[in-house]
Amino acid sequence: MATLKSVNLSPAGQRYLPPDRESFLDAQRRNRHATWRLSAVCVMAAVVMGIPLTLVITPLLYGVALIAADIVNYFWKLPAFVWEFAGEIARFGSVALNWMFPPHQHADPQALALGAAVMLLPGILLSITLWMAVHMLFRRSGVGGALLALDAREPNQSELKELQLADVVQEMAIAAGLPAPRVMLVDAPGANAAAIGTSPEDARIIVSRRLLDDLNRDELEGVLAHLIASVGNGDLSIAFRMTAVFETCGLLLAVVNSPFGPQSRRVLWRILRYSLWSPSGEAGAQEAAAVADMLSRNVGSNADDIDGFFNPPTKSRVRSILNFIFFPILFTNLAIKMSLWFFSGVLLGPSLALLWHTRQYLADASAVQLTRNPDGLASALQKLKDEPGDIPGGGWASHLFIVDPKPSGGGRAPDMRQKQMLARAWAASEPQTEATATPAVPINFPAMQGQLSETMRAAFAGDAQAMDRLRSLYQNVAAVDPAFAAEFPNPDDLIAARRGDVAAAMRLRANRSKRSSQPAGQSQAAEGGSSSPSAMSIVGFHSSLQRRLKRLARMGAHPDLEAPDRKGSIVVFVIYAIFAPFGLLIAAGILLVIAIMTLMSLTFLLVWLAFIHKAFTLLGHG
Amino acid sequence: MSMGLILIIVVAVLLFLVVAAFNQMVALRNRVQNGWAEIDVQLKRRHDLIPNLVETVRGYMQHERSVLEAVTQARSSAIAAGNNVLQRSAAESALTAALSGLFARVENYPQLRAVESTQLLQEQLTSTENRIAFARQFYNDEVMKYNTAQTTFPRNLFAGLLGFSPATMFTAADADRANVQVKI
Repeated sequence: MATLKSVNLSPAGQRYLPPDRESFLDAQRRNRHATWRLSAVCVMAAVVMGIPLTLVITPLLYGVALIAADIVNYFWKLPAFVWEFAGEIARFGSVALNWMFPPHQHADPQALALGAAVMLLPGILLSITLWMAVHMLFRRSGVGGALLALDAREPNQSELKELQLADVVQEMAIAAGLPAPRVMLVDAPGANAAAIGTSPEDARIIVSRRLLDDLNRDELEGVLAHLIASVGNGDLSIAFRMTAVFETCGLLLAVVNSPFGPQSRRVLWRILRYSLWSPSGEAGAQEAAAVADMLSRNVGSNADDIDGFFNPPTKSRVRSILNFIFFPILFTNLAIKMSLWFFSGVLLGPSLALLWHTRQYLADASAVQLTRNPDGLASALQKLKDEPGDIPGGGWASHLFIVDPKPSGGGRAPDMRQKQMLARAWAASEPQTEATATPAVPINFPAMQGQLSETMRAAFAGDAQAMDRLRSLYQNVAAVDPAFAAEFPNPDDLIAARRGDVAAAMRLRANRSKRSSQPAGQSQAAEGGSSSPSAMSIVGFHSSLQRRLKRLARMGAHPDLEAPDRKGSIVVFVIYAIFAPFGLLIAAGILLVIAIMTLMSLTFLLVWLAFIHKAFTLLGHG
Repeated sequence: MSMGLILIIVVAVLLFLVVAAFNQMVALRNRVQNGWAEIDVQLKRRHDLIPNLVETVRGYMQHERSVLEAVTQARSSAIAAGNNVLQRSAAESALTAALSGLFARVENYPQLRAVESTQLLQEQLTSTENRIAFARQFYNDEVMKYNTAQTTFPRNLFAGLLGFSPATMFTAADADRANVQVKI
């Protein structure tokens, strides 16, 4: 064959010889089956996670319906069957509750089934509807916003390496029999690549420039074969559904929080505005990215809203009465938040992560089928293992990258002093207020990060005001701490580089390499925390490279694998054996707390509703 | 009555299976045709690139007239080969061999390799060679699937009747097998 490829084999002595060979077709079949099994596990996990959630949400829905009916009844008399119907629902619901919570009461199966349906169906329907709505909403918007966040550019066809990239993408698309996806370059400090998009039609391949510089043609071919095979296997829509799960959780939380917090209301309002009057083109894509980001970050940390409501900065009598009235909602909120946090972190997240691992193995096996050269991908993975893979702006989709893009060692979050200084500089850079008026502002760093990343998006879109603000922020920081400011890219350069200014891009690259060489990462500041699914699971979304290399070796690659460390694995096993009972105890404790919260929330909600309903009946008759 | 009902159900199920098999084989045949069209596109691309390459290197390679002529010759005979799979694959393999010879000679001209336009052109040709190889790989894989689908039980009973016939693989001719090792 004269395919003009050179295969570099490692010296025979160092080869890891796999005990059993496996053809790539067998590997693909095996991983497809594993995907099926794990999707069943994921559905089970979602159901288990859904039960406590729906137990809390359903009564809330009934409560809202009851109050609405009461209000309507106050003005126009409702027919009697409405109240009879409500009574039936309450009766069956109480049958189910009495059966479930101690002291357990026996119930005949038919009434129990009806009761369970009454208790669970509305919550389940609401969750599924929300999930589908979120899914459709973001499917419509495509990937434009993500590309803006990544600061991606077209490859330059008159440069050898970038021409090679475009060519290899075409070659791999031909080998897979797919339409060639568009390829974009990112001038990031890490070596990494990803396929992003919502479907094979609008898929984009994102490659960092450093990856091009570090890999040879065969290795590049392996990496792109993995990405294109992943697109061809339909991983994008799987990933999209996975993120929609987490976004739905965020939306649920926002809905539950909305009576108490301006922040949740703002999130809800933006979603509503986006779904009704979504701007077309680039602005729409940006808005979609911003909304998705807000939603998935919602799950992590916005206790501020409800805390702010119950511990207001100014205490007043009205406030304390309101607090008393809304007191049960605190339990509801806590129950929802805890069960979301616990089940998504321990149950749903890990099963989704394992599902995603099988997709990665499948894509590796398909890549071998496309290139018929397992050594290309294996040696690429081996090189990427030893290099930083972080891509600024790529945190939201870290699961889509070929190797984990988390900052490896070099990155560190800004410390408290720097955070305060940043927040002060940010407040001072606000155009209308003077710097003297701001020292009393409490430091809300996460909120500031959100604002900052939004301003950056606006500036990229050409908003002059946002640009001015960024510039003044940069100058403020530089005035206080020049060394810290030097860690940021100059905003003028960022914008100029996006417009195609080569000199500015070179300055940025120099700045980035300087930053990555001295261990002081601040990329999180521009990125706005972790909002990807991988932040919400105790199991990483990337399978270990060692394991992937082993599987490639079984398909005929020759990676330099270290021999399995017997002693180390025994130590790890012992540690696990010691800590596993504690972990189980903690998990049981958390489950107990969730159950108590759910019970409290139900009880208080029922009492509260009965009280309000009684008040309305009295008012109505009086 | 019940016998008649069972018979109707059995016939309906059989008919459904045959229709499903027919549709599947049509889908496979379309993929095979698509694969062949892709090879065609890439071969055409190579034919278009060759005059450009020959022009670029001619100035430097005065003494290699025979190699250049072999390439041009192989190109015109490949264009003339028509649409028969076997003839076509033989002619294209000859062209691949001629090009490999040319690339081997280019290695001997450092000043030629240093020219940037040559590098880009060479990358394009390398890519074209790879694209042809990959298109061929895809085509052959699809032919294998298509032929397997036709010749396995129970489809082999009616594949011929429905007008399906095995497709031909794009094979490597002898010229291609002469293990040419080129390092770019």
